[in-house]
Amino acid sequence: MSPLGERLAADLRARPRHFAELVEAHPAVAWRDFLKAWGEVRTLSTLGRDDHGRYRMNEPAGEHGPA
Amino acid sequence: MKQGFRDVLGVLEQAGELRHIKKPVDPRHLSALAAQAKEATFFETIEGYPGWRVASALVSTRKRLALAMGCSEADIARRFEEGIRRPIDARLVATGPCQEVVLQGDDADLTSIPIPLMHVKDGGPYISATMVVSKDPEYGRNVGSYRMMYRTPRETGIDLVSSSDMRRYYQRALDAGRPLEIAVAVGVHPYEMLAASYKAPIDVDEYAIAGGLHGAPVDLVRCKTVDLEVPADAELVLEGELLPIGWTADEGPFGEFSHITGDVKWNPIFRVKCITHRRDPIFYMLQMPWENDWLAAPVIEAAGLQALRIASVEPVAIRAPIGGCCYWTLIASIKKRPGEGKNALLALLSVAEVKLAIVTDEDIDIYNPDELDWAMTFRVQADHDVLIVSGARGKHIDPSVRAWSLGKGGLPTTAKLGIDATIPEGVPKEQYERIRYFAKDAVRLEDYL
Repeated sequence: MSPLGERLAADLRARPRHFAELVEAHPAVAWRDFLKAWGEVRTLSTLGRDDHGRYRMNEPAGEHGPA
Repeated sequence: MKQGFRDVLGVLEQAGELRHIKKPVDPRHLSALAAQAKEATFFETIEGYPGWRVASALVSTRKRLALAMGCSEADIARRFEEGIRRPIDARLVATGPCQEVVLQGDDADLTSIPIPLMHVKDGGPYISATMVVSKDPEYGRNVGSYRMMYRTPRETGIDLVSSSDMRRYYQRALDAGRPLEIAVAVGVHPYEMLAASYKAPIDVDEYAIAGGLHGAPVDLVRCKTVDLEVPADAELVLEGELLPIGWTADEGPFGEFSHITGDVKWNPIFRVKCITHRRDPIFYMLQMPWENDWLAAPVIEAAGLQALRIASVEPVAIRAPIGGCCYWTLIASIKKRPGEGKNALLALLSVAEVKLAIVTDEDIDIYNPDELDWAMTFRVQADHDVLIVSGARGKHIDPSVRAWSLGKGGLPTTAKLGIDATIPEGVPKEQYERIRYFAKDAVRLEDYL
């Protein structure tokens, strides 16, 4: 994954965000580069959505078992 | 010869309804800038996308829709009716400008197109001005319009939740375990968009309806990688297939035609095989909700006229106002005989999801809100002239039907309201004699300035 893709994934691990919030967090990135990096993030099996339509990173299965 | 997308730009230019933006614009800012302009917008330089230009808001007002249709604002429904009454079959041609550039393999990369981020809560950048072609072995060709959300350089989401012929085609392909080939044309004449959004019977070719609207056949070219045909003069074409995964991929939210942000939906995925476009392509960013709404207006108004005629009521004028998203509200003036105010209401409320209908007399200009208010003030007694129909079919996207409380698969119902603002039976017309200024025709203000 590209460094920008890693940063977008880290943004989502920190907290759920709307797509536009991700865009706003990286204003200096060329649009085409942003779309390519987002395409990388979209392929992650841990990418999910919350009830508000925000993207989030789900914990990988088995990393945290039930308490 | 039929008109194309670029001819509409020319018509708008001549009418002073097209604003050129010469400074470079980032695709992230296209939507906000288009929304601030009073005119349609033409962005001549797109940052990071040399050779591309972007047009938007071509039919964001009734005036611009009428200009594109070559008729008066009052006549868009009748113009649409004329077109659908006399379909003209499309014509296959060998080549077209939409295939001047052909990108396949790794070059078929959606990031090479300036797909804009349009709204604050959208699930991603969207292609909003699509004309999507598909084919079923039994039913034949279908053309519709479906929003597409960028996912990866080779994939988009596509909103296929609502009932449609293409949804049926996809379900049949899914049942057979195969993908459904589709082609997506972007940057076509509003007549093609109107034909695509018109719910024609499954055996009617929407290209023939577009031909009827143009008064000339639509020229089609064969796609490069799928067994489908697209308008030869389109600006951009995406060829590929809907994957046989069913309604499993997240798509949305998107700024809906109801002027409200929608929800995340579960939809199929479109995988791109080939991109073709003109040498100097113009990306069409359909401005939500306005262009989507106005493209529905001729269809819903024509349905209203037809319903009135079936009810043996003579319509004078009809209007689907933008406040009702050109979908939920119909206002009509009629040549009334006793009882026909109510008959007209019943007819109009039977049209699709229309939930508010107002009927008035032929002397009222229904395009003038003040005139309409006056008629509703002085020709309506609420205990006699208001109809409420409970439990009619509703639409999920209307928050007032509380669709969220229905559970998965639940279908909403709605109440419908009709207001008969025609002169009540038994009230002489003389009671409505308007005041007239003495000597109005004898003197002219400019002679005294």
